Amino acid sequence: MKKKLWDPVFGGIVIGISIILTFYISGRGLGASGALTDLAAWLQNLVLPSFTQSNEYFGKYFANGANPFNDYLVFLVIGVMIGSLIAGFISKDMKFEILRGPNISNKGRLLYALIGGILVGYAARMARGCTSGQALVGGAELSVGAWAFMFSIFAGGFAVAYFIRRQWI
Amino acid sequence: MIGPLVKNGIISGGVNTIFAVLIGMLFGYALQRSGFTNSKKIAAAFYMKDVDVPVVMFTAIITASIGLWGMSLLGLINLGNFYFLPSFLIPMIAGGFIFGIGMAVGGFCPGTSIASMMTGKIDAMVFVGGFLLGSLLFGDLYPVWDKFYNSSANGVWRIDELLNINVGLAILLVTLLGIFGSLGMRKLQYKFWGKNETK
Repeated sequence: MKKKLWDPVFGGIVIGISIILTFYISGRGLGASGALTDLAAWLQNLVLPSFTQSNEYFGKYFANGANPFNDYLVFLVIGVMIGSLIAGFISKDMKFEILRGPNISNKGRLLYALIGGILVGYAARMARGCTSGQALVGGAELSVGAWAFMFSIFAGGFAVAYFIRRQWI
Repeated sequence: MIGPLVKNGIISGGVNTIFAVLIGMLFGYALQRSGFTNSKKIAAAFYMKDVDVPVVMFTAIITASIGLWGMSLLGLINLGNFYFLPSFLIPMIAGGFIFGIGMAVGGFCPGTSIASMMTGKIDAMVFVGGFLLGSLLFGDLYPVWDKFYNSSANGVWRIDELLNINVGLAILLVTLLGIFGSLGMRKLQYKFWGKNETK
């Protein structure tokens, strides 16, 4: 039996406190997408080093012998992985499974997950951050761009929800 | 101790890194315990079927905003040493729209996909793979959109400056928006879908 979830207001307060802590200790916000892009650049550099290092966007990840994993956000995401693993065990929610609505096959769900991942991966770079590093942190900083980003996320999601409803409901 | 601790020389870079892992753990723990490792729950927000996702987001923003501002008023942190995110309004609006489409289609955002992957969810693993491809698409073809990406560079641009009001008043407005937004969405959820929990 899975453990009951936190009340959303309590969850929000805990996440808000983790943002305050990154500022108090490190003078910056948290983020999740940066570390994944570091990983993408690192992987591509294994296969195509000269192509990756001469690229205008990824070149700076490797400039002067730099290592893309030497990044605050990478350590933060390692923590996210440990924390969610602990929470998964404590709440008895550790299981290899595909979560989907009742009207879609496993294959269909995974195809949607792949397409969604590609779109989010592209868009997080275009917007200079994701729901954590841009929307939550920027939102707390009262950044105009971050608030515009957040409302656009909901606009995009609501715009497409009807057309993909078979996947979820 | 006045923050930011690492920039004020109170802790070393190495200790800062350890704190990064610890804060990440708190964040990851909270994501899982809030139900955000479940793609169905995240997607349900876009059908107003379960509005926990925006409620958590609003609450986190309000908490962090009041906390940071309050700490600066008490002299516990020095805002001058902060890294503030710059606004690039048009690419952020475009990026947000595509991000929202991807979130509804994929059922995750980056942080939640990492947390979900760790609890064995295969759709999250595939989403993360897609994210890596999408990042590479952006970076490898950077010259195609670099002009757009760097357009409307507004620098650090805050709501209080936009509305020409006091920071405290801006935080009050954001807080009210968050509270009434959350209550309003919850009301719509109950109206359209009843009081069922996402399984």
